[in-house]
Amino acid sequence: MTEIILEVKGPIGLTVEAEAVCPHRLSGLAPGEIEAQLVWQGPAQLPLSDFFEVEVREGEGEVRIAIEGDASRIKRIGQGMRSGCIEIDGSCGMHLGEEMEGGSILVRGNAGSWAGMEMRGGLLEIEGDAGDHVGSAHRGSWRGMSGGEIRIGGSAKSQLGGGMIGGKISVARDVQNFCAIRQSGGLILVHGRAVRGVGAEMTGGVAAVLGGIERFSPGFVETGMEEDPVLGGEKRPGTFIRYCGDYAISKNPKGTLFVRG
Amino acid sequence: MGFMEATLSQYFLNCSSGEGCEGMREVLLNTGSTIEEGRLAKGGNKLGPEYVEECAVCEISHVDYAELGFPDRVRIWTPDRKHSVAVHARPARSLQPGQIFMPRAIWSNLVVDPDTFSTGSPLYKGSPVIIEPTQEDVLSAAEIVRRHYSRGKR
Amino acid sequence: MMFRNLVCPVCGASCDDIQVEMTAEGIVAKNACKMGNAKFQELASPHRIRQPLICQGGEMLPSGWEEALDRAADILASSSRPLIFIGSETSCEAMEVGLHLGEYLGGVVDSNSTVCHGPTAMGIQEAGRVGATAGQSKNRADLTVYWGSNPLESMPRHMSRYAVYPRGYWTRRGRFDRTVITVDPRRSLTAENSDLHIQLNPNTDFELLSALLALLHGQQPHPSAEEVTGVAIRQMEEMLELMKGCNYGVIYAGLGMASSYGKHRNAEMAFHLVQELNNHTKFVIGALRGHCNVAGFNQVASYLYGYPFGLDFSRGYPRYNPGEFTAVDLLRERDVDAALVVCADLVSHFPADCASYLGEIPMICIDIASCPTTMLSDVVLPGVIDAMECDGTFYRLDDVPIYFQPFTASPFPFTASNQHTLQQLMERVRGRKEAGS
Repeated sequence: MTEIILEVKGPIGLTVEAEAVCPHRLSGLAPGEIEAQLVWQGPAQLPLSDFFEVEVREGEGEVRIAIEGDASRIKRIGQGMRSGCIEIDGSCGMHLGEEMEGGSILVRGNAGSWAGMEMRGGLLEIEGDAGDHVGSAHRGSWRGMSGGEIRIGGSAKSQLGGGMIGGKISVARDVQNFCAIRQSGGLILVHGRAVRGVGAEMTGGVAAVLGGIERFSPGFVETGMEEDPVLGGEKRPGTFIRYCGDYAISKNPKGTLFVRG
Repeated sequence: MGFMEATLSQYFLNCSSGEGCEGMREVLLNTGSTIEEGRLAKGGNKLGPEYVEECAVCEISHVDYAELGFPDRVRIWTPDRKHSVAVHARPARSLQPGQIFMPRAIWSNLVVDPDTFSTGSPLYKGSPVIIEPTQEDVLSAAEIVRRHYSRGKR
Repeated sequence: MMFRNLVCPVCGASCDDIQVEMTAEGIVAKNACKMGNAKFQELASPHRIRQPLICQGGEMLPSGWEEALDRAADILASSSRPLIFIGSETSCEAMEVGLHLGEYLGGVVDSNSTVCHGPTAMGIQEAGRVGATAGQSKNRADLTVYWGSNPLESMPRHMSRYAVYPRGYWTRRGRFDRTVITVDPRRSLTAENSDLHIQLNPNTDFELLSALLALLHGQQPHPSAEEVTGVAIRQMEEMLELMKGCNYGVIYAGLGMASSYGKHRNAEMAFHLVQELNNHTKFVIGALRGHCNVAGFNQVASYLYGYPFGLDFSRGYPRYNPGEFTAVDLLRERDVDAALVVCADLVSHFPADCASYLGEIPMICIDIASCPTTMLSDVVLPGVIDAMECDGTFYRLDDVPIYFQPFTASPFPFTASNQHTLQQLMERVRGRKEAGS
């Protein structure tokens, strides 16, 4: 495995957009070429070495990128990723792993909004908290995440899994508003609590909130109870109420929402 | 990334009747235009004393106003206690308990939640705040600028 | 001397029936409301900014036009990522120059419309909108719903000129032919003057709209909806019967919908509700746009660059992503390094974290009177009052363009309009950039 270690040089002023930091874009490049890859800061295109110390450990096979230091002001890491892996030591900015198709990303800290937007495959793991629009559709687009898996170790903010048509998202703690909005396929599993608008405009797929919902979406109708349902390949102990919705948006919706009874 | 602030707003989300310890209430702040605010702002009078009398004001429901001990002035805090502002207190019949109203102006916007939920628009309506009686003076718009916003420049 | 049929540059109503008389005692504006009248008095007011100001040693000192323009151009040309914020109450023509300047600099251009009805515009993008002009609603509407808006205080002539009191072709008896519903957590002046006041809990517009839609689809809403919204299902049904039973209904959405918790999702649900109501009767919805020509920025930005607000030009082509490229978020996240503020008081009207960052970065401002934003600016260029001192175009709240003509001229020898000021600034910035490259 070829290892590329990128160490953030110091505090970053204006945010940087670094879609170049992606295994298939850096694969096969000499250290000097990696340093010369361009990233954006505002309207300026600057070499990667302005922001990172670059170290390359040559090896065989897939590329692994390790990012050390505070990358919370660096956006678009792993955008369109196809293979290999990225490990981020701390936090990172918006658009992490946007439109990724394969490979894996691990963030030990928090990730900004739009992580895994319209993701098609691969694994995106965020150990800390995530921002808005995780795994959701882009502005103006109807379809969000279609494949792969997103795991969040902390909490996520609003619009998680917006327009999701496939794949799986799990959140270990809480979500805020409009989780699973306009979902039509796939599975969203929230282990903690949700604030409001869960499943709004949902027409298909499955969403489950294990810790309870503060404000229930008015357009959901109870359809029965289930004991220990299997959700995301695992048995979830307890009695769950199954709802169908969202009747606010359709006369015949097929979205399923599980809430622990 | 403002995550902590957001979880705090979540905490206040369901506060339909303000609660808190003695002399302090957690309430939802509604800001908006009033006709006199409009007259003064459009007339270019934002730095004058009349603007302070009209806009450095917090309308409180009768119930909350009584429980706060009929104060002349109140201090409004953001839930994280990072920003606060003292304004004139007025009871109002138009409000339900747990809600306050302030004219849109520099005083109210000091305590408006800056999170935009990825829309670009802050929570001008329904921001969670903490309110308590105070003896402190109400500052003019110019004093607010000097005291709160001039760190970097002058 | 009396001037007739003037356009008022204050609120979104863009009233075009103002009469102004210039007398020895002062200016008399007829037909204008309290706010409009105050603005017309600005022509001769003592606090009008009459010369450029430059900050030197912490103090705002008068300067020459050339010097101020040079300093402003220096700030913009040397910044890495400037924010150009274009307020309302200025012409579309000035907005166009501001947008081009942002494109040239690779900066971000945003406007008042973002913190005003930005979420409503996003809701339109999500759901589409059934709309109508103000004239159509005046002539036809027998049901008016003010949702989260208080026009008696924010747009004083809306009820009397467009919506409730005027006699229309099919509403000959004016107010007597119309039912008025107000949805507001506060018993506002407008609510007091309505036939039905739905006093919902704050931040529950989404749940109320969603419950109304579920009822419309023949389902009982989840029982918690009553407690969450504070509105009984029976009352929702009563409201829905009024809406379904009218001949022509109109919702005027205010910031209570767009700015409260839920934001564009509230607006989106309202648009869906209106679409569904069209299965029963004719129903339309429009935003009650507070400031004059905030609608114009959405129009101009959309036809020039494809997006209604929050445009980022850092890659040379426009990008749009509210929350990332919008002024409040950029300032809160400290992601711009200079600001040009045209006809807006950001320091007063942005949350504290954003306003204090404006105090840290170089700022240029164009305004007609001193305000907190001019206090924190490095350069203040005097503003010209649109519709009084120069001609141009405003878009009214219903997105109808209104061409306006002045009744007097710019009081300054150095600029004829804000558009002219921005054009001069653009030329200077261009000169510096070309000399530098």
